[in-house]
Amino acid sequence: MDEYAIGVLTSIGLLTFVAASAYLLLIAGELSFGQQAFFGVGAYAAGIATAMFGLPLPLAILAAMLLGGLAAALVGLPALRLRGLYFAMATLAAAEMLRILFELFHWQVQVGGEAVGPDGTQGFRGIRWVFERGVEPLGFLGIVWALLAGVVLLFILVERSRLGTTIRALGEDPELAGALGVDVLRLKLGVVAAAGALAALGGALFAHHNTYIEPRNFDIMLGVHTLAYALIGGLGTVFGPLLGVALDLGLLEGTRVFQGYRMIVFGGLVALLLIWRPRGLLDERMVHWLRTRR
Amino acid sequence: MALIDIFQNTLDGLTAGASYALLGVGFTLIFGVLRRANLSYGPAIMLGAYAATWVSLHTGAGLLVLFLVAVLATVLAGSYVERLCFAPHRRGPAAAAMVASFAIWMQLEELATLLLPRHLYAFPALYEGGALHFGPFSLRVESLLMLLAALAVCFVGWKALYATRFGVAVRAVIDDPRAAELSGISVGAISLRVFALASAIGGLTGFLIVASHEQVTPMLGMWSTLKGMLAMMLGGLGSLPGAVVGGLALGLIEAHSQWYLGPQFRDFIAYFLLFALLAARPPWMNTRSAY
Repeated sequence: MDEYAIGVLTSIGLLTFVAASAYLLLIAGELSFGQQAFFGVGAYAAGIATAMFGLPLPLAILAAMLLGGLAAALVGLPALRLRGLYFAMATLAAAEMLRILFELFHWQVQVGGEAVGPDGTQGFRGIRWVFERGVEPLGFLGIVWALLAGVVLLFILVERSRLGTTIRALGEDPELAGALGVDVLRLKLGVVAAAGALAALGGALFAHHNTYIEPRNFDIMLGVHTLAYALIGGLGTVFGPLLGVALDLGLLEGTRVFQGYRMIVFGGLVALLLIWRPRGLLDERMVHWLRTRR
Repeated sequence: MALIDIFQNTLDGLTAGASYALLGVGFTLIFGVLRRANLSYGPAIMLGAYAATWVSLHTGAGLLVLFLVAVLATVLAGSYVERLCFAPHRRGPAAAAMVASFAIWMQLEELATLLLPRHLYAFPALYEGGALHFGPFSLRVESLLMLLAALAVCFVGWKALYATRFGVAVRAVIDDPRAAELSGISVGAISLRVFALASAIGGLTGFLIVASHEQVTPMLGMWSTLKGMLAMMLGGLGSLPGAVVGGLALGLIEAHSQWYLGPQFRDFIAYFLLFALLAARPPWMNTRSAY
């Protein structure tokens, strides 16, 4: 496989974690403009763990997910009492606050004679754990997609369980779900925390893929893009967000057919697609049809 | 001296706040009628400003022509957004409309940068003379014009909403779209006209902003969307006077926190306030209504 293809496939994998976290919130009936911040929390936490304290990557990923979930829950606690656009704006405000905190975050230690750590707007360089251990790009691609496969499997299991049905019921009609005995706020808080941890997992891998992160990586553009990926891919199955990311990165950027006009083409396609299928390509009806077809 | 600083910062804050207020009014008009946030409002304004800059570079036309070009291009872009992103989703889920408007954001922004690819372009100055001085304080004439424009737009908007048949129809749609439809009001036509009106205000705002900064950059789109949404939310969402107060408040908060805490905290404080306001759910914020 050539280097370019490996790069595109790795990016698709990394962004799918964030798109899947936006998807999880969407099926629970919440629209978040802030998942990029938890992606950022994961990136910073994992980078600090490996580059500054020499912890192994698996441990760093766990720490990143824990911190990402915690940060998301802290934002969700007040924000979840709000609905629709208000929730979206609260998550946007929180995410921008976190991004500005990254800009103000200076914490460096001496590692092997050089200062390593977050340096405000100058970013955080030298997150080289993966490369120092001689993992080739192809090997890292394997790690990303293996973890993604795990996430997808988990999604499929949950969506087939009672919990998954309850989450969808919550998205459909929270009042009715509450009347049927679902603890709406607690379940939503759990969903928000899980989505935060999922985005943080992507962020941890992103930091180690790039070896350099800066606050600008985690701005609102990333958030709205991943939301769009989840929605055009479809809200019927977890393969929806993956399809959304693959359509944009693989088809439009990867093939470089529309160089210079990519956004005009992509933007128009998305708007037209949403008229035809407001819940995405792989929406609930499509998934049901695919499943029952014999 | 501190008192002088406070007063001067307040003047500067009101200046910036006037442009936020104008952006907030445009956002609120659209939000009030459609109950949908139009993310590509800022990029449409940016496209209008870019079209005016393009005309200025190629023809050297005067300010009046540039103003008309900016308004016309913004209205065209806004109507395009309404037809493609909002008209088809009037009854559907709000998320689809919002994401569609984001997709068109990308489109408008790329169109603008294809028109003028450099990072910075000069724009003719709105006013050639210097700032006005009152004792130790100074106020730019452009700022005064911006404030006047905000007041004028508010007055005209209020008149249009409360003293015309069009206004009655708009308010009927805001109160209850279905009942309005049943009384013979074409909701689609009203929403297109409101969009065009809001875009015209946006075109005016964009023109005033770039002519008083004397430059355009590709940041204008995102900046306008974020500031307009903040002004609308701080103002309690859904009322025009509220959006003006919200915009002015945002300008004041930014000016003072920049002076005392530095530029990074300026944005932080604005977002923090928005988050705290939403979390506290004050009575003037109608936070129960979805989307």
